[in-house]
Amino acid sequence: MSNRLHRILAIAFLLYAAGAAAEDDLEDRLAACAVCHGKHGEGATGSEYYPHLAGKPAGYLLEQLQGFRDGRRINAQMTWLVQFVDDAYLREIAQYYAAEPPRTRAADTGASDLTEARRAIAEKLVEHGDPEREVPACSECHGKALTGLEPGVPALVGLPAEYIIAQFGNWREGIRRGAAPDCMHDVANKIAPEDIRAIATWLSQRPNADAERPAAAGSFVPPKACGSLPHAERRP
Amino acid sequence: MSARRRFGMLALALLPFVLAVVAVGGVMFLRQGGFAPYRIPHDGSRVVAGGAATIARGEYLAHIGNCAACHTTRGGVPFAGGRAFTTGYGTIYSTNLTPDVQHGLGDWSAEEFAHTMRNGVSRHGVLYPVFPYAHFALLSDADLDALYAYLRSVPASAVATLPNRLEFPASWRPALIAWRMLYYRPIESPSPASTTPVDRGRYLVDGLGHCAMCHSTRGKRGSLPPEGYLAGGIIPGIGWYAPPLDSRQLQRYSVEQLADYLRSGTSAIGTAYGPMAEVVYSSLRGISDEDANAIAMYIKQVPVHPTRVPPAILAPNAAPAQAASINGADVYEHSCADCHGADGEGKDGKYPPLRDAVAITAPDPINAVRMILYGGMPPTTAGNPRPHTMPPFVQQLTAAEIAAVVNYMRQTWGAQDAQLTGVDIEAMHGIVID
Repeated sequence: MSNRLHRILAIAFLLYAAGAAAEDDLEDRLAACAVCHGKHGEGATGSEYYPHLAGKPAGYLLEQLQGFRDGRRINAQMTWLVQFVDDAYLREIAQYYAAEPPRTRAADTGASDLTEARRAIAEKLVEHGDPEREVPACSECHGKALTGLEPGVPALVGLPAEYIIAQFGNWREGIRRGAAPDCMHDVANKIAPEDIRAIATWLSQRPNADAERPAAAGSFVPPKACGSLPHAERRP
Repeated sequence: MSARRRFGMLALALLPFVLAVVAVGGVMFLRQGGFAPYRIPHDGSRVVAGGAATIARGEYLAHIGNCAACHTTRGGVPFAGGRAFTTGYGTIYSTNLTPDVQHGLGDWSAEEFAHTMRNGVSRHGVLYPVFPYAHFALLSDADLDALYAYLRSVPASAVATLPNRLEFPASWRPALIAWRMLYYRPIESPSPASTTPVDRGRYLVDGLGHCAMCHSTRGKRGSLPPEGYLAGGIIPGIGWYAPPLDSRQLQRYSVEQLADYLRSGTSAIGTAYGPMAEVVYSSLRGISDEDANAIAMYIKQVPVHPTRVPPAILAPNAAPAQAASINGADVYEHSCADCHGADGEGKDGKYPPLRDAVAITAPDPINAVRMILYGGMPPTTAGNPRPHTMPPFVQQLTAAEIAAVVNYMRQTWGAQDAQLTGVDIEAMHGIVID
């Protein structure tokens, strides 16, 4: 082998080693996150209220971290931790968890709560929405498989029902806000509370293979131009 | 004796007291500056040349003064005001400093701005001492002009200032004149902006930096008496302890290490958490090397004030029966030693040492308890762009275990007679976020 090839191989190895070290290193650095979200963002067993982070779209995770820092999303513990952290590190943290294999199988938390009639309502809202009230189908933005869309739309599968219900409540009350235009605030206010429970329960029971990633960026275009999406109608 | 005559006798008898009250009041009024602070220059016409260099200088000074931190809400328009400050008398909201004519400083002259900064009295009346005018009085004319020019250059924002929510008599602004008569003593003359580095450091610490607002021991009614100067104290409203800034407290830092800490929020000796993390993030990470060194040199030689021990915020509680059975050393070994070392020595630039840390040696245990309960992330800075985090232990340790480990650390390394119980820890639960 020529000297030159040796050198290239050596550099390639060093770059690989440095990259691997940076990643391992991040796991050490994020010990605070692991307490609630798991070492690799897989979620903590027995504390379903804390969401898993693994495999969620990086843009979505970044928007949430910035939201906690800048007051769009309220959680005292999260704000306490990220309030003096700049975008560069938040982006790196978001990418770290986004690169981990997603968890798409939620704990089934409400099977007995869902009658056939409620199941039908949930299924209709998820797959067809409610045109009369201008509620789009969940699948129009979150993907046919409901596994989300890179880089900004999260999966709806793999989440406990309690967590989904809590988020709907937060959007309705303005405790959780997306970058404007805040689609989920509008949507959450148009769905009846009992239907929110049905949707959340239905989603949490959805059978799904593990580790299914969000749909690739640009593979479909959501009908709503929500604030944190690439085709958003930016409002100042 | 007629009623009239009786009244005359009474008035005569009371006259000395009335005269004494008037005399004392007059002297106290003069000592807070006489009438001069209340004469707002309404017809100021001095023109401040708002050239790029002046504006850039003003922007730097606004960073050092950390104006935006208080005058901006979380995620809000910079300098538009509205951040809430919790005091012992109620809530005070910061004001809009943008050039909006109706709600901000749009039609303020340079004279009016300088007068308000130096005297704490504006066209709206006497200002509450949460605004550090006693410190800003030190600012040179040139620095005030630069700040004025910079604030006129930021985008105007028509955000109305929220009305304060204060109890009487604090809600009545003229009552502040009485407060000033008791506690406010204007400085004689502004100090020179710069001569030696130590002078420059003092100018930054006592002036724009207003470090004493957190790091001094407060006296009655929120006052800052001279004997408490940089002697450390409980920060009002948010439940943290700020350490003294003096030669004894900062002995363990070299000037370089201290300057590093100010700029990067971390050093081999200690790391900034809580309110100091905010100060580093929104202010000091942009400071010049020269100014960081000047501050470090100045505070390292501040003499130790023979002040009283800051009041502990906790009333001692009777130790519950099970407290004795929890061994703080065991808790430390299981939960803390992996990162902070078996002997509290820390780990090379990753995890701060605990041996001489403020949280361990301070007279008040609140910082240690807050860090253990809710963890923390130091500020991101050029010198520490990817900080290590401290995990929250609120779900992992019981209140009694936290009490035991805090007592163990403070007794072992801090020479503090720590007797916290789980009840004390529970009393310190809760995150204050505004």
